[in-house]
Amino acid sequence: MRQVALFSLVHDRTKFLSALAGVTFATLLVLAQVGLYQGFLDGSSAVIRRVGGDVWLMARGTPVVEFGEALSAGTGLSVLGHPCVARVRPLVFAWAAMRRPSGAFDSVQVIGFDPREGPVLPWSLREGLPSDLAPPYRVAIDESDLTKLGLSAHPVGASLEVGGKRVHVAAVTSGIRGFTLQPYLFTNIESARRIVQMGDGRATYLVVDLKDPECAADVVAEAERRPDLEARTTEAFAQRTEAYWVTGSGAGAILGFSSLLGLVVGVVIVGQTLHSMTKDHQRELATLKAMGASRRELASFVGWQATLLAALGGAVGTALVVGLKHLLASLGLKLVLSPAVLGIGYASVIGMCAVASIGSVRKVIALEAAEVFK
Amino acid sequence: MTGALPPVLRVSDLVKVYRTRSVVTPVLHGISLEIPAGQLTLIMGPSGSGKTTLISLLAGVLRPTSGSVELCGVPISDLPEAAVSRVRRERVGFVFQSYNLFPALTARDNVAVALQMKGHSWPEARSEAARVLERVGLGARLTHRPADLSGGEKQRVAIARALCTRPTLVVGDEVTAALDGHTAFEMIELLRAHVGERTAVLLVTHDRRLERFAERVIEIEDGRVGADRAGEMSREGWKAWS
Repeated sequence: MRQVALFSLVHDRTKFLSALAGVTFATLLVLAQVGLYQGFLDGSSAVIRRVGGDVWLMARGTPVVEFGEALSAGTGLSVLGHPCVARVRPLVFAWAAMRRPSGAFDSVQVIGFDPREGPVLPWSLREGLPSDLAPPYRVAIDESDLTKLGLSAHPVGASLEVGGKRVHVAAVTSGIRGFTLQPYLFTNIESARRIVQMGDGRATYLVVDLKDPECAADVVAEAERRPDLEARTTEAFAQRTEAYWVTGSGAGAILGFSSLLGLVVGVVIVGQTLHSMTKDHQRELATLKAMGASRRELASFVGWQATLLAALGGAVGTALVVGLKHLLASLGLKLVLSPAVLGIGYASVIGMCAVASIGSVRKVIALEAAEVFK
Repeated sequence: MTGALPPVLRVSDLVKVYRTRSVVTPVLHGISLEIPAGQLTLIMGPSGSGKTTLISLLAGVLRPTSGSVELCGVPISDLPEAAVSRVRRERVGFVFQSYNLFPALTARDNVAVALQMKGHSWPEARSEAARVLERVGLGARLTHRPADLSGGEKQRVAIARALCTRPTLVVGDEVTAALDGHTAFEMIELLRAHVGERTAVLLVTHDRRLERFAERVIEIEDGRVGADRAGEMSREGWKAWS
């Protein structure tokens, strides 16, 4: 039955190509939307996950990592006495005004860290090394922000005016962007404090490393005794940030709706094609039934066609989405094609083809063998 | 009319009534007959007489309202659909006026489908199909699709598909209606060659020319057997046709 189904599908090229276009379009749309969704999720919490630690301390009411307020100096002492705390790392994460060469102002997010402690920031360097950021006012920027910052393709050595200070580009990162798409500017913590005009010893966040991660709840409770302080585990803070941007902004719903729309269009096109194929071959299928084909064998006629469409459309759609990924990357948008994203995409397309074939399967099963004599 | 050989088909008091919500249409009124092996039998009659319904019941593709149909001793009218399908697959071959070939498949693959349904692997089925088509004179047309074949060639493919599984009963519906005299003769020749000690051919037809090649002619009139007579099958008949 496989041969009959597949040859019949390919034989009518117009219908075959229209169905293939439907599955390809649906695959492209679903993978692109889910990939973008994952990209937004990853981007929105990337700094939190990269900085790591076990517990983050922040000003009470901080909704997301981008909107933290400066903690007063000495805040870290409130948890340093806890026997489970190994160390406390300060992190500056604050907005600053940048003046373009044209004189216009724009906003950047300054991320200041102590290069002597913790995981290496920034990650994914295209040019330069983390140690290049140790001298005062040396910054790293992302390659996708060069145009926005008015810099050339090779900006190392170029200077910018941020927070009224002249900073120099010492490194270039690749693919590091937040959900807001405003440029990240990595620098050492002292320079960051100067740029955002934050006093010595102050920070936006205190990242707590624990001797035993099991103590996290206890440390959070200890820190939250202070009325001005809020504490979250790293994972909880990352999830809160992801939820704020991706779910709270409506971006997730829009991407989900677009995916659903793609699937609905795919179901209609594939369903229409399979139905039309079944109708066109009704007499031949009834002949097979008369010859003794079982219901399962007849249903497999539709099943094989739907499978071929899903496989070919999925492959073409994936090839196109890989091209789209590179195109979007050049526009500064991150499209993630991880195994999980591909799994969701393929499962959706397979489900779509399965749903699209239900009507035709029912029609084939209901065929009367006696129709061959009519 | 029971022959010396055991019957391929035995039908008792067959009644078929079509019902819709508002209309009840009795088509067959208590038909009883036997079709023995070793015969080519024609079912004839005017349009609307019930012959298509009768052949559908005899081939097991339609269920009677009452009465029984036995195919090779198996009471197919009492079996569930799946079991009847298996009997048809094992015992019955079909030939139709409009051929009912898959347009996307080559002549060889159209025949191979029937062999695959009988359990052959696809490569085995294709090589056996090629041998069968060569036997019916289509060795040079194996890779042609139905659209590239003449009416006679299409009917040869359809007959090859029906005969390749060596069915006990071959059922045909107006198999010569769309064919010229010479081509029609070739088709009958192929079907006659299948008639043997354990096999029978049953054809519904309006074509009176075929009577010369049948052992038996059953006339259906208003859902009843109007006449059941011997055909004119003889060597002279073959010669006259050719």
